[in-house]
Amino acid sequence: MARTMGCDQLVRCLLVLFTLFNLSFCLYEDQVGKFDWKQSYVGKIKFATFDTTTNPKKIIVATEENVIAALNINSGLYDFIANYFYISMLFKLNTSIKLSIKFAGQLLWRRVLEKGYAGHIRAFGHANDKELVTVNGGVPAIVRYWNVATGHILNEWSLAEQNPDKIDSPFISYTTEGLYSSERIEDIQWYIKDGTLHHVLPVYNSGIEVSSYDCKTGEKLKSRKISAPFISPETECVLAAPNYVCLSGDSSLAILFYVNIFELKSEPQSITINTIFGAGTQGPYQISLVPGNTAAILISAENNRRKRLVQLEKEPILIPCDINGDNSVYIATIDNNKVVLETSYKNDVTTITTTELSTSTNPSTEKVAYVANNVLYKPSIAAIHCQPQSLKGKLCKYLLTNEDDSVSLLQQKVMWTREEALANIVAVEFVELPMSEREQAIETEFDRKERLDVNDSWNVASMLLRRLTSQANQIRAYFQATLGLEPKQSDRRADLVRDKFGLHKMIVVATKAGKLFGIESRRGEVIWQQRVPNLRVLSEDPDQMILYLQRGSRHYPHPPQCALLAADQRTGNGVIFTFNPMNGQPLSGGLQHLDHRIKQSMLLQDSIDGFLRGFIVLDEKDQVHVYPKTAATVVASQAGRTFIFTVDKTTGVLAGHSLAYSNEKKLAAHKVWEMVLPPKTQKIIHVVGKKSYERVHSQGRVLSDRSVLYKYVNPNLVVVVTQGVEGSQKNTLNLYLLDVVSGLMIFSLSHKRTKGPVHIVHSENWVVYSYFNEKSRRTELATLELYEGKMQSNDTAFSSLNNYKLPIVERQAYIFPASIESLQETITEKGITSKHILVALANGGVLELPWMLVDPRRPLNPDYREENVIPYMPELPIQMDRFINYNQSVYRVAGINTSPSGLESTCLVFVHGLDLFYSRVAPSKTFDVLKEDFDYYLIVIVLVALLCASYGTKKLASQKVQKQAWK
Amino acid sequence: MNLFRSTFLVSLILCFFLSSSYAETEEDTSTDLYVIEGKVFGWENSANSGWQLMTHVMANGGEHYGFLREDGTFAISNVPHGSYIVEVVNPNYAYEPIRVEINSKGKFRARKVNLIQTSQVIQVPYPLKMRPLAPFRYFQVREQWRVTDFLFNPMILMMIVPLLLVMVLPKLINDPETKKEMEQLNSLTNYNMPEMSELITSFLSGGEKQKQKPVKYSKVKTK
Repeated sequence: MARTMGCDQLVRCLLVLFTLFNLSFCLYEDQVGKFDWKQSYVGKIKFATFDTTTNPKKIIVATEENVIAALNINSGLYDFIANYFYISMLFKLNTSIKLSIKFAGQLLWRRVLEKGYAGHIRAFGHANDKELVTVNGGVPAIVRYWNVATGHILNEWSLAEQNPDKIDSPFISYTTEGLYSSERIEDIQWYIKDGTLHHVLPVYNSGIEVSSYDCKTGEKLKSRKISAPFISPETECVLAAPNYVCLSGDSSLAILFYVNIFELKSEPQSITINTIFGAGTQGPYQISLVPGNTAAILISAENNRRKRLVQLEKEPILIPCDINGDNSVYIATIDNNKVVLETSYKNDVTTITTTELSTSTNPSTEKVAYVANNVLYKPSIAAIHCQPQSLKGKLCKYLLTNEDDSVSLLQQKVMWTREEALANIVAVEFVELPMSEREQAIETEFDRKERLDVNDSWNVASMLLRRLTSQANQIRAYFQATLGLEPKQSDRRADLVRDKFGLHKMIVVATKAGKLFGIESRRGEVIWQQRVPNLRVLSEDPDQMILYLQRGSRHYPHPPQCALLAADQRTGNGVIFTFNPMNGQPLSGGLQHLDHRIKQSMLLQDSIDGFLRGFIVLDEKDQVHVYPKTAATVVASQAGRTFIFTVDKTTGVLAGHSLAYSNEKKLAAHKVWEMVLPPKTQKIIHVVGKKSYERVHSQGRVLSDRSVLYKYVNPNLVVVVTQGVEGSQKNTLNLYLLDVVSGLMIFSLSHKRTKGPVHIVHSENWVVYSYFNEKSRRTELATLELYEGKMQSNDTAFSSLNNYKLPIVERQAYIFPASIESLQETITEKGITSKHILVALANGGVLELPWMLVDPRRPLNPDYREENVIPYMPELPIQMDRFINYNQSVYRVAGINTSPSGLESTCLVFVHGLDLFYSRVAPSKTFDVLKEDFDYYLIVIVLVALLCASYGTKKLASQKVQKQAWK
Repeated sequence: MNLFRSTFLVSLILCFFLSSSYAETEEDTSTDLYVIEGKVFGWENSANSGWQLMTHVMANGGEHYGFLREDGTFAISNVPHGSYIVEVVNPNYAYEPIRVEINSKGKFRARKVNLIQTSQVIQVPYPLKMRPLAPFRYFQVREQWRVTDFLFNPMILMMIVPLLLVMVLPKLINDPETKKEMEQLNSLTNYNMPEMSELITSFLSGGEKQKQKPVKYSKVKTK
């Protein structure tokens, strides 16, 4: 008995091993970089300084994405050499030079701090030439001390710990245990000078508490209180060290208070606003700190139209000249002269003018830079570095941050630009590339035929004539091409054409900064970029903009067309930008500002003339709009079958609308169902539908008794996940499966003692989601699978309205031994290839997890066996060779996008976050193309050898026969 | 100090009644904060590779980070009491994660991570010492053509064994009588049944060659 058990176990182990072996799809080492690429970004720059003491010369930046990084000042010579050889093989020389400029400003090192609030960089500065201090996080802040040259941390200390009790403080001592609330943290100012970190905390109606620490050790040097009773919640304050400046009052009676915080016996001083602006100006007034290494503030009046500078080194010095409201100002000390740099931007031209302040009686203004380059967009100076005595010689380097989040180094001309907007991608669309020009020429022939009336000109002679002429044209084109005489017809790049297997695509991305990019997928080169001014996301958390591909590139001569749906920055109304995804140029209407908000939108299935697919927009009053307007007939003809659902996360109302009462003249959405998930008890955190272009190949699953279990494939199924708000509900996650056409609740479940982050994949007939189990303190991955049963209700088309039978739900949970940043499933053209789940992990890896491993039908009882089902194991294995990005870690992954390629076996993967990573995966291995390492030589050698052998044996055989005949 | 704490507790409760959101922030910050410390060891030959720069330490999947000093030590600051899985993130080497538990009195306990049997405790020393387990093997090794692989292929074995039987076995039989018998048998079969291979060779050669005439002759005869 025992022996049979042993045998059984062995068989089982072998079975598991075998299936695992079968599942291992991994890279070979020589495939590195063959079809993948990675780009690293840092995000929008918040602080920057030049570091010219260490080699190579670099710029240290701290960003909104909680990243500290060093950028190479020089134009990336190393990268140029590395890329040159490769690129010159691919493209012509001029493109390679363009690329080298793109790679300039490379990252020397990068340190990614904590995500979100905890990593928020509040102060940043040089402690000395070789060391750097950052203050980040909330309460209490963490101070980190870095080596500039290498990026090593030298020390780390937390502010609260170093602060012994100080209960007898005259003000309620907030710093004692870091007990100021998170609203007050914004009021705290930090000042770093000469290796000392000053923590400046204003206390309302009382004074300022200044604590000074040694940057490196965290030792508290001194602390003092300065009386400043003018501070109140209404005042607007900035720290222009050594002075703390507050503006109180909004009217013409506004007063500017300031107090020197480093002198023990300093008394608050004040200036009236009229002495700064002169009489006759009106509020509202605002003050802001002028960036640079000299203390100065900028006061703006009349809604930012007029600005005046006040220098606050010791005693305030008023600078009696107006600064244009749109210009940005930077102040620097160069050769002991204080210089104000004013940057203005008008019609693609950036001008920087300097004003020396030392000769304050008659400030001389000089233009130091005049750049007509469309790379710059409303720039402002983040940092400046000048060789001694070189401002006059115009040899300064300026680091400019543009309003579209990009950063440029300017030295007479723009040396390099980094597109940091790409660190915040909100929408991605893969677009097929157009045909090559020669193929298009062939297409035009057919195109012409279509236009002719077939009945009239259907005679043999004219058809023959046309064929002959077109072929003659093709022959001419061929000779021209071979002789290199081909006239350049367009400025399109020759390499941006569709390939045989549809693997080369254009990745169109929309970023949070409102900038669109077209990235070519083979090398990751940015082909085009387009700024759309004053854009913001439709909804936050997660940030959302929508990209619709209205027309693909298959419909020559119609250009492909994409539409971006976003919101206007000021009004919040909808904005539609229609563009060509191949070059970013606006198409038919371009930028449209709508007079309503976008609540929900939907791309239509049917196209209008010119193969263009319109889309429906539902506004906040549930009115239906259709873009372009001509698509209204299409909508009306399909109105009875069109449904839209909306989710309001704040009120928790889910509603379904039908367009059945629409006609061509008037489109109307009629509410057919409504459901409320009360926001008092639960908050909607995720609403996930299926991909509209997904195809399900197999209808069912064959069981061990040869019967078929049919899948419940409902395209209208949506997963809604809510989190409990308070009390006993607090640590509960609820999941609902909802049919959004009929409003039918298909299934619901709740997980107790769990919390987010929740990531969901919804595809075919299954849902995979991850959550954190607080009881067992581990991340778990759960699966739901829906089946109709052994009978299919309707085998041709699924209808939500005729299907009331609830599906069978199979479910299972697995332990996942890592934390998850993002989840996505692979998708292929026909859905034949098996599905894998791509998991972005917190440690920077992107794991390809076969769906088979999370199959809810994995049996707990190992004796029960089904085909292709492995016995249940609680913990999912993470195998190293299933990381698709090997050692190219990607941090802070915001999303993974997958797209089918022309090959059924292959799926394209684009991972975005702080880094961009692109690769392709073949979940069932590349069954439709020859293996990459297919041994052509071996096959040739074997064939030749066989041929030779057959000839040789023929000869031998004949000899033998001859011998025998002689016998 | 105690007084302060109790008054604080009261205020905390008050806050809780007043506004839940305010209380939440208070609740989070009211507890003491601790520092998890430890040291990460590099692998062999890693001295000058700047491995400290590629490596960081992560608690609870990125809630808290610790960065390595040049000697490999690290500190994760501002952690409230609770349980943390401390992982070393390095793209080239795998390290074993460790669970660090800090109780409300500030006592530290480090133990091995066991996600399945969460109650099992195998203690490890604190401050943490993280040593590399093994290098990551991201890549599959490409199969290379080897003679031994080729020879031990079952197909090849199947070919070679009968070949040996055919070629070597007759030579091993030294007995002249049996040899004669064999030959006779051979000649018999030769005359009675045309060999398939010969048929094909003759067909392929198309009967051009003079030397093969006798064969043809014999074949005609048999036919």
